[in-house]
Amino acid sequence: MAEITPNELGITTVFAVREHRSLWKDAWRRLQSNRTARLGLAIVLIFVLSAVLAHYFWEYDPKTDLDYSLKLKPPNLFTNEEVQSIHPFGTDKLGRDIFRRVVHGGWNSLRVGLVAVGISLLFGGLLGLLAGFYESMMVTPGERILLLGLIGLLLGLLSAWIAAQPIQAVLFGLLGAAAAYFDTFLSGRVWRVVFFGALGGVIGGGLGSLVNPATGYVCGALGLIIGSLLALPLGGKFFSDTVMRAMDVLLSFPSYLLAIAIVAFLGPGLEKGMIAIGVVGIPVYARLVRSAVLSVVQKEYILAAQSIGESHGRILFRGIFPNILSPVIVQSTMGLAGAILSAAALGFLGLGAIPPEPEWGAMLGDSYRFLASGAWWAVVFPGLAIMLCVLGFNLLGDGLRDALDPKLRI
Amino acid sequence: MTRYIIRRLVSVIPTIIGVTFVIFMFQRLIPGDPAVAMLGEHATEENVERIREQFGLNRPAFLDRAALEEGDIKGFFDSQYFRYLSRLIKLDLGTSIHRRIPVAETLAIRFPATIELALASLLIAILVGIPVGIASAARRNSTLDSASMIGSLIGVSMPIFWLGIMLIMIFAVYLKWLPSGGRISANIAIEYQTHFILIDTLLAGDFPAFWDGLQHLILPAIALATIPMAIIARMTRSSMLDVLQEDYIRTAHAKGVMERYVLFKHALKNAFLPVITIIGLQAGILLAGAVLTETIFSWPGIGKWIYDAIIGRDYPIVQGGTLLIALLFIFINLIIDISYAFLDPRIHYD
Repeated sequence: MAEITPNELGITTVFAVREHRSLWKDAWRRLQSNRTARLGLAIVLIFVLSAVLAHYFWEYDPKTDLDYSLKLKPPNLFTNEEVQSIHPFGTDKLGRDIFRRVVHGGWNSLRVGLVAVGISLLFGGLLGLLAGFYESMMVTPGERILLLGLIGLLLGLLSAWIAAQPIQAVLFGLLGAAAAYFDTFLSGRVWRVVFFGALGGVIGGGLGSLVNPATGYVCGALGLIIGSLLALPLGGKFFSDTVMRAMDVLLSFPSYLLAIAIVAFLGPGLEKGMIAIGVVGIPVYARLVRSAVLSVVQKEYILAAQSIGESHGRILFRGIFPNILSPVIVQSTMGLAGAILSAAALGFLGLGAIPPEPEWGAMLGDSYRFLASGAWWAVVFPGLAIMLCVLGFNLLGDGLRDALDPKLRI
Repeated sequence: MTRYIIRRLVSVIPTIIGVTFVIFMFQRLIPGDPAVAMLGEHATEENVERIREQFGLNRPAFLDRAALEEGDIKGFFDSQYFRYLSRLIKLDLGTSIHRRIPVAETLAIRFPATIELALASLLIAILVGIPVGIASAARRNSTLDSASMIGSLIGVSMPIFWLGIMLIMIFAVYLKWLPSGGRISANIAIEYQTHFILIDTLLAGDFPAFWDGLQHLILPAIALATIPMAIIARMTRSSMLDVLQEDYIRTAHAKGVMERYVLFKHALKNAFLPVITIIGLQAGILLAGAVLTETIFSWPGIGKWIYDAIIGRDYPIVQGGTLLIALLFIFINLIIDISYAFLDPRIHYD
C-alpha cells in the first residue's frame, strides 16, 4: 500500500479534529448507543406523549362516562351486532372504554410520579446536601452562631410554651448565639457546661417561677439541659447526625404503611397520595445526596476552592452541586418508577385517586372482583400499563446510570 | 470492634424513641374521635366521655400545661404520650378498640403468619436470585445474561398486587391447581403452638395439613418474592463482575484452576458481602409488600391487619403492629451492620 501523506487527504494544519463535547453530550451519546436504554426511552416517550396528547386533545369527562348496555364487554377490534363501538381493551363494570381510561390514567400516574419525586428531591436533597456538606466542612463562626441560635430558639420554644412566655424562646436563642460567639470562653472545660447550664437554668427557672413555683422547677430543669447542650462544641457533625437520625426514623417504617398512614391522615385523593409518596421518599434522597456530597467533598478542587477562600455557599452550589447531579438524576428516574408503582398501590387499596377519576391502580382495584366472572381484560390492561410504564423508567434509569457514570454499576 | 458494636447499639435508642413518637403522632393526627369510633355514631355524650376517661383520651397529648399551672408537676407529665411509653415499657400494647382483644394476643397469632410468608419469599428469592446472578456474571453478555437481566428489570417493575391477581387468575381460577387465598383450608383443624402453620403441622406429624398449608403458601410467596428476587439477582451479578475483574482471579485462571472452582471458591466468597447487605435490606420491601400481598391473598397476617385498623381507626392495633414492624426493621439493620464487622476482616471500625 502506497504511503499517504496528510496533504493528499486534505488535512493541512489541524490533526486532532475533535469537537468539544460536554459531559452531558458524551452521556447522551452513550445513552443512545445503549439498546436497552433506547427501549426505555421509547416506552417513556410513548407514555408521556399519549398522556399529554390525550389530556389536551382527547376530552374525557369521567363523571359522565357511563353506559350499562356495554357492561364488561371483552376487547374487540371490529364492531359487531352486539357492540357498536370499538373497545380494544374491552369495557369495565360501568361500560366505560378501558383503553380510553388507561390512556387518561397515564396523565395521572405521570403527574403523581413527578410531583412525588419533586417533593422527595426538594426536601431530601436539600437536607442531604447540607448534612453531607457540614459533616465534612468546618462551620464558619457566623454559621455556628446561626446554628446554635436556632437550636436555642427551637428548644426554647418548648420552655416558652410550657410557661406561656414567648420571651423565653428569644432568650434561649440569644443564649445559643452567645455560646457560639464566645466559643473560646472556658473551652474544653467542664466549667463551660456548668456556666451555660446555670445561665439556661436561670433564664427558664427565673421566668418560669413568675408563673408559679412548679413551672419554675420544670422550666428551670429544662433550661439547665438546654444551656448545657448549647455549651457543647456543636458543629456540622451534630447537625448531620440529627438530620440522618430523623431520616432513620422515617426509614424504619415500611414505605406503604407510612404512605397509607399519611393518606389516612390527609384523606384520600390523588394530590394527597402525591404528598404521602413524596414524604416517604425524602429519606432515600437525603441519604443518597449526603453520600454523594461526602465523596465529592474530598476532591482536590473543593480543597482548592476552600484554600482560595471561596464562600461556603459558592462551594456548595458551584463546586459540589453540579458534581452530584449524576446519581441524583439516575435515582430520580428510578424514583419516578417507584412513585408510579406506589401511587398505583395506593389507588388499588382505595386510598389514591377518588373514583371515577381514571387511575391505573384504582382501575385494578375496581375490577378485580369481576375476575371470577371472566372479565380478565379489566384487570390485565391497567396492570400491563403500570408494569410497562414502570419498566420504561427503570430501563431508562439503568441506561442513564451507565451513560452518566461508566464506572458505576449496580 | 466491641466499641463499634456498643456505639451502634446506643445509636439505636434515639431511633426507637423517634419511632414511638411518630407512631404516637399517627394516632393524634388521623382525624376522627376514637371514643366515637368505639361506641358508634349514636353513642350518648356521657358514654363517650366515660370511654375517653377510661382510655385516657381526655388527657393532653404530650404535656399537661393546665396541671402545671395548678402546681402539679406529676400531673404535668401525665399525658397520653407518657402513658403510652410507660405501658410500652410494661409490654402492654393496649386493647383493640373494636374487638376488645389485647393487641399483643392477636399479634402473637398474626405476626407468625407474616413472618412465615416473608421467610418463604426470601427463601425463593435467594434460591433463584443468587444462582441466576452467578450464571449471568459467569457468562457475561450471553443470551442468558441479557434474558435474566431484562427479566429482573421486569421483576423490579412488577406491581405485586397485579402479579398476585394474575397468579390467582391463572393457577387458582383457571387451572385450579392451588388455592386462591387464606393460610389453610377451612376443614382442616390444627393444634396451634407456634402459629407457624408449617412448623405446627410438622410438630403434630400431620402431613396432609402440612401439604395443605404449603399449597396455600406458594402463590403469595411467589408474588412477594418477585421484587427481592430481581434485586438479589442484579446485585449478585454486579458484585461477581467486580470481583471477577480482580487480579487474583486472573492468577487463579493462569494457574489453571478449574473454572467452577474459581467461580465458587475464589469469586463468590468475596462477592457475597454486598449481596448479604441487599438481602438484609429486602426485609423492608417484604414487610411493605406484605400489606398488598396479604390483602390480595386474604392472608391473615400483620400487614392486612394494620391496613384494616388504619381504615377502621383502631389505634391500638395501628400503634402496636407498626411498632413491632419498625422495631424488627431496626433490629435487622443493626444485625447487618454488626455482621459486617465479622464478615469482612478488612473493615476496621475504631
